[in-house]
Amino acid sequence: MAEVSVDARGAACPGPITELSKAYRNSHVGDTITILATDQGIKSDVQAWAERTGNKVLEIRDEAGVITVRIQVLKR
Amino acid sequence: MTGKFSIIMYSGTADKFIPLGVLAQAAAAMEMKVEVFVTGFALLGFTKQKQDIPFPEEFKGMAPKVMEGMKKNKVPSWYEMLKQAKEMGAHVYACSMMAGVMGLTKNDLDPVVDDIVGAATFLQHAEGGQVIFI
Repeated sequence: MAEVSVDARGAACPGPITELSKAYRNSHVGDTITILATDQGIKSDVQAWAERTGNKVLEIRDEAGVITVRIQVLKR
Repeated sequence: MTGKFSIIMYSGTADKFIPLGVLAQAAAAMEMKVEVFVTGFALLGFTKQKQDIPFPEEFKGMAPKVMEGMKKNKVPSWYEMLKQAKEMGAHVYACSMMAGVMGLTKNDLDPVVDDIVGAATFLQHAEGGQVIFI
């Protein structure tokens, strides 16, 4: 059950979701992936991504333009 | 991988290469099977010998401002985005008919192109998935 963190701050869409996808490919079921991003698109993209891949969004937090998203890997 | 996303890349102007990169990379990140079929004027953007890809006349006025904004926001080039998509499993094929018309062989094309294939091959690969024409 690893905790992986990805910093995609400053990357424009679709950079953050790409970084998430890369982290996901190296992950295992039960892992948590945290993504930091500043592109607002990540808020909806991550939900679309989770729906498509069968994983779970634990949290989406927007603090002064820095968005923190936490994902739990349910499927690999 | 779930789902298929196929792009027919036909246009040869710079404005059209931006969505090619964005959508190919986004679809690959969405774990979709991504395939790009390069044909028509777009093939000129895929030669080893780099050529200038122009903006169309109607966008020339706003193009510098858009490009400046893209640079400021650190948006990668269409080529970098397509390479990212390929790293995530996307494939790029060039149209055999158009390659023939332009006198291009596999050797003349950028390494980002996996192979030269016919239209029927692309249609067979794309069957059942989403297809967009740029």
